[in-house]
Amino acid sequence: MALSVSEVLPVAVPRTRRQIWSVGGGKGGIGKSLLAASVGWQLARMGRRVVLVDADLGGANLHTCLGLPTPERTLADFIQRRVSSIEECLTDTPAPGLRLISGAGDLLSAANIKHLQKVRVMNHVRAIDVDVVLIDLGAGTSYNILDFFLLSDVSILAVVPEPTSIENGYRFIKSALYRRLRAAAPTDEVRQLVDAALDPKNSLGIRTPVDLLARVEAEDAEAARVLRREVAGFQPRFVVNEVRDVADVGIGHQLVAACARHLGLRASYAGFVHHDDSVWQAVRRRRLFMADAPTSRAAEEIRQLTRGLVKGESLGHGY
Amino acid sequence: MGTATEPRPEGIRTSASRSAAHGDLYAVLGLEPRASREQVERAYRFCLELYGEGSVATYSLLEPTEAEQQRLQVREAYEVLVDVERRRAYDEGRGLLPPDSPVLAFPVRVSAAPAAELPPVLTGADLRKIREARGMSLRHIAAVTKIGLRFLEYVEEDRFALLPAAVYLRGFLLEYARLVGIDPRRTADAYMGRLPARG
Repeated sequence: MALSVSEVLPVAVPRTRRQIWSVGGGKGGIGKSLLAASVGWQLARMGRRVVLVDADLGGANLHTCLGLPTPERTLADFIQRRVSSIEECLTDTPAPGLRLISGAGDLLSAANIKHLQKVRVMNHVRAIDVDVVLIDLGAGTSYNILDFFLLSDVSILAVVPEPTSIENGYRFIKSALYRRLRAAAPTDEVRQLVDAALDPKNSLGIRTPVDLLARVEAEDAEAARVLRREVAGFQPRFVVNEVRDVADVGIGHQLVAACARHLGLRASYAGFVHHDDSVWQAVRRRRLFMADAPTSRAAEEIRQLTRGLVKGESLGHGY
Repeated sequence: MGTATEPRPEGIRTSASRSAAHGDLYAVLGLEPRASREQVERAYRFCLELYGEGSVATYSLLEPTEAEQQRLQVREAYEVLVDVERRRAYDEGRGLLPPDSPVLAFPVRVSAAPAAELPPVLTGADLRKIREARGMSLRHIAAVTKIGLRFLEYVEEDRFALLPAAVYLRGFLLEYARLVGIDPRRTADAYMGRLPARG
């Protein structure tokens, strides 16, 4: 049975100034890990104490992005209780202020971690004494991934300017939003409507979150108000990776407009990163391009988008 | 990398299709009513790309017929808003200010009703009557105050369940009253006194 977000996120966890950031995107191979590593690197350069968490439990490679060998201790050791605290899994990186919790290891089982294990991981991740915990989510839209994305203060959605990536990006957004709405649904009837909306071919004709809210509004105005508040609180921030021209840059603006117009969502455009040979040259040397090619266009763009994310700013609306 | 500026939450208040159903040509293009000619042109080009055949941003969200419908609405909105005469007629029909008029001109012309004239209890319908008597559109209030049009409609329709928390509602009422030209505090008190207690 699907568990609600409120079950996953106990309200007793104290709020501090510590922030959780996450990088998701639905599709594999679109540069999520490099984006997470480089944004984390830049945050550390800006004086933040940062822990990168590789939550791509089935295909972790964040350590390689940072030029590290496979760490001795990983998230798997914590999940399987071979270590007692998550701090024991922290690995230093070449960048001062930036540490890593790797997801690498023998993790075929960990990729499907159980609910209670997930809650334990989440609670301990949230309790790490740093300024920013930055989570690199794996590909796909499993509940584990969506829940990490939903608990974040800054939810970054990476796409590349290709139809498959953008299609998966929308699927990711809708899945995350419906999971959030389902958790907030005040009655069984409303929860059933959200469940119906999850099936794109449902018989009620609910195709988008806008349709869902209209339907809920017709049946239960108070519930609709609750759901609207949840929708308003869901603000994914797009990063368009691997752009090659002005038209690719413009896709981010179009995604924000399409989300507003057809999903009723207040997404924003955090920034873009150009396709840059120095990035893959650095990857081949197993070095992070932020350190290896700090004057590259991609490195400068990462610096700009990270500063924007810290300030809560985004690019304008594209016209 | 472009300059970082906070985007206007374009199209948030209603979906694009619903905006068109309400005949809001500005919302179709994602514009504010006071948009300049150049902004109209840029927004038009943006929307044509957004809904163009093969647009990666919308092909997986919209059926081809829906995208065609959107293109049609975008063209219709553009043809009115780019034409000075047609735009003026459209703006006047909706109680909107012409784009080149100073923002504060409208409220200054309004004579404030003495506070004593306000009844101790105000319904949404009362507020609407006062507003309409002053020839002010709800859309104008929304544009100037940045309060969502939907919430202003809920206020005038007495849809209490949909109104925001009291502290925000009070803020909305104060703004509304200031623009319409009636005593803000008394207006807020007279309206909120009727609210059912909320848990």
